[in-house]
Amino acid sequence: MSSGDSNPAAAPTPCEDVQGDGRWMSMHHRFVSDSKGKEPEVLFVGDSLVQLLHEFEVWRKLFSPLHTLNFGIGGDATQHVLWRLTNGELDHINPKVVVLWVGTNNHGHAPEQICGGIMAIVNVINQRLPQAHVLVLGVLPRGKSPNPLRERNARVNELVQAELEALSFASFLDVDPGFVHSDGSISHQDLYDYLHLTPQAYQKVCQPLHQRVKALLEAHAP
Amino acid sequence: MSHEDTNPAAMPEPVEDVQGDARWMSQHNRFVQECKDAEPDVLFVGDSMVQLMQQQEVWKELFSPLHALNFGIAGDTTCNVLWRLQNGELQNIRPKVVVVWVGTNNHQHTAEQVAGGVMEIVQLLMNQIPHTKIILLGLLPRGERQNPLREKNAEVNRLLRASASRLSPVQFLDLSSDFTHSDGAVSSRDMFDYLHLTAAGYRKVARPLHELLLQILEETPEEKQTTLA
Repeated sequence: MSSGDSNPAAAPTPCEDVQGDGRWMSMHHRFVSDSKGKEPEVLFVGDSLVQLLHEFEVWRKLFSPLHTLNFGIGGDATQHVLWRLTNGELDHINPKVVVLWVGTNNHGHAPEQICGGIMAIVNVINQRLPQAHVLVLGVLPRGKSPNPLRERNARVNELVQAELEALSFASFLDVDPGFVHSDGSISHQDLYDYLHLTPQAYQKVCQPLHQRVKALLEAHAP
Repeated sequence: MSHEDTNPAAMPEPVEDVQGDARWMSQHNRFVQECKDAEPDVLFVGDSMVQLMQQQEVWKELFSPLHALNFGIAGDTTCNVLWRLQNGELQNIRPKVVVVWVGTNNHQHTAEQVAGGVMEIVQLLMNQIPHTKIILLGLLPRGERQNPLREKNAEVNRLLRASASRLSPVQFLDLSSDFTHSDGAVSSRDMFDYLHLTAAGYRKVARPLHELLLQILEETPEEKQTTLA
């Protein structure tokens, strides 16, 4: 496994404010301050697939009732999530389940590096929240037709699933309900831009996810 | 005002597939295909502000019934929209109204250049679809607090308002003031990442936009347009 210093995907890195409106840092600060007032049982953390989930009805129906916080930021790669979690976002909360969904934005990184980044996050969560179960979601396929990123994401999932088997406090969940059709295509009815989920696709993804989270919460009860 | 040949924001340009999954071209090709089958009365074109609207309830409620097509692609600049419109996305369709919402992603360009790029899109639409009406949406404020991009977007809006007032088919609709509080802050209840709209944020835009669309659609072609933005 790559050490943190030689794997860029596992080196905590804040997002640089290239555009000039400081939005990434604003969101990070909001998450830190949210975490001071609330006592979530469940925390979702990751990229836009996490962040956008909060904007649809399915969040209100399935996850709000479980007392869930959403710390997703669009565009985040593993090193950005790692920075956020080591800079305040976990300091004031004690959720029983942390759902981690990240990896698709790690452009330029090899599957082994991305896996290293995900495992670094899993370990950081375990260090700070030793009571929490970390549920890692598989990275979804992307692009309308077969392409190298699909292969990369599938390989990341294989590697991560294997590493998580050794851990008692973490597990892997493949939430892809079969977005890739037999002809290799992905429909815009599921991924409207061949990356992000439509509300109907979120419904399909969240069914098994919700079941699993509930089961983990029940298992956690004293 | 910049001449079209020297304004980089007015030069058509496709998005390069840097990531490796060709999503931009796939979306463009899908829109070109949609033009072959559909007969939209309303066409929405622009960036993620347009694209994400289609995933909200408000699209089904207010805009689908108007036979609207959504050709938004996240990340697009005026250059990208220009390229798409010149490369098939206007083929075979004659919408009565085109809603244009783009400019916030033109990071390499000045406010003057961005406004010039938007007006280049307007010119193209007026040439390609004579008699079509155009609604230009003002760029919304971005960022949690005051920052240079807010000033830039506001300057683009000032320039667009002035240009639109000179063209009778064009109306300018600026909803910026609905999104900043008295202290200048943008709420995450309206913009979950201080740029993109929540469902509540979209409702603030959709209501006045829908009203304006109904107004325009109800006017017959022979009636003189007298309402001003």
